[in-house]
Amino acid sequence: MGEPGLRLVGAGGGADIELLVGRIARGDAQAFEFLYDELSASVYGLARRVVRDPTRAEDVTQEVFLEVWRKAARFDRALGKAKTWVMTIAHRRAVDAVRRNEAAKRSDQQGAPDEVSHDEPGDAVVAAEEHGSVRRCMETLTDLQLESVRLAYFNGYTYSEVASLLDKPLPTIKTRMRDGLIRLRDCLEGSR
Amino acid sequence: MTTDLHTLSGAYAVDALSGSEVSDFDTHLAQCASCRIEVAELREAAAQMGLAEAAPAPRPLKARVLEAADRTPQLPPRVSSTDELASRRDAREGRRSRWLAGVAAAALLVTGTAVGVASLSEDDEPVVAAGVSQVFEAPDHRVATLETDYGMVQVGRSDARGEMALDASRLAKLDDGDVYQVWAVRDGNAEPVTAITDKVAGAAMPLPREGTVVAITVEPVANPEVPSSEPIVSVDPRTV
Repeated sequence: MGEPGLRLVGAGGGADIELLVGRIARGDAQAFEFLYDELSASVYGLARRVVRDPTRAEDVTQEVFLEVWRKAARFDRALGKAKTWVMTIAHRRAVDAVRRNEAAKRSDQQGAPDEVSHDEPGDAVVAAEEHGSVRRCMETLTDLQLESVRLAYFNGYTYSEVASLLDKPLPTIKTRMRDGLIRLRDCLEGSR
Repeated sequence: MTTDLHTLSGAYAVDALSGSEVSDFDTHLAQCASCRIEVAELREAAAQMGLAEAAPAPRPLKARVLEAADRTPQLPPRVSSTDELASRRDAREGRRSRWLAGVAAAALLVTGTAVGVASLSEDDEPVVAAGVSQVFEAPDHRVATLETDYGMVQVGRSDARGEMALDASRLAKLDDGDVYQVWAVRDGNAEPVTAITDKVAGAAMPLPREGTVVAITVEPVANPEVPSSEPIVSVDPRTV
């Protein structure tokens, strides 16, 4: 097992993200480095999928880890898992980057709106069993639920933009997005 | 309306709301525990989707990130007891003297009393009240807008009135009874001036003497003797 406690190995064998964040909150730079080692691929992979451009994805990744560093002391365990907290920051930053970029492009073009770029599978690492269950669970969603969730999550569209793109009423998209995520949650909960 | 907001939890959890919708929903979340739980759960489901996209980051990025963190200050935790307050204050002693020492100047201070202008409106929304408005609306007023981690602060100055004011109405609401504490800093010494709470959207005060820097920190109690952390913003009113 190596030096006990050095990498804060949790019960499942993976690093204990909660413990790392707790140490980072007290200014522990080494814990921050371990957190980077643990989660940089997760953060970068999501950023890359959302913003597409690899250089921009690197910038987003840096922003995310700096926000984690700055706000570690504010992380509240009662609100959810530390890993989810990091991925939530990652998603928000990636979406902000996409929207800033789109706004800049729109003010250049001032012409026809962009085509809907439906997400293509990126060159992500082949899904491990852990990721296999989320892919399987995504298949339990209806087409509209899945499309709404994917356009929002992976393309950074707001729900009103999704409603325009899919030519559906706003309330419909609102509820599909929510129902889709609820179904995903329930499926993942069931497969644990 | 509430039912409407509730159904936005999914869109909120995947960052699919516009800016103003986010603030409206945030306000709703503050009052709806079941929504908070749902958002946390849906975020976790969404995060699982994100995790499936993992791809190794380019190697040179790590050093840049670690180096950037090294020069980045951390936000203080929220303090919930006086014991914690004392130990955290001790822990930050070093940082406190460093930021105070960095503020150049001579004697002290803000003379006279600062007026924290309180206004408890029915909706519990902070209202920028008379004393502060008087500075911002004075014929000779000058204004500076400053960005902080907690939102924007406007600093107003009127030489004719001999006053300055802080408009804090766009600062984030603080939890746990934390307040925004205004300090007047000269020659390495910080004197508490007044506290801005969630009921008080600003403060007006006589213009401090030249060489005084006005700073705001987040504090667990109003008007402590010493600041417990680094300022979220500091400004020399003479530069406004």
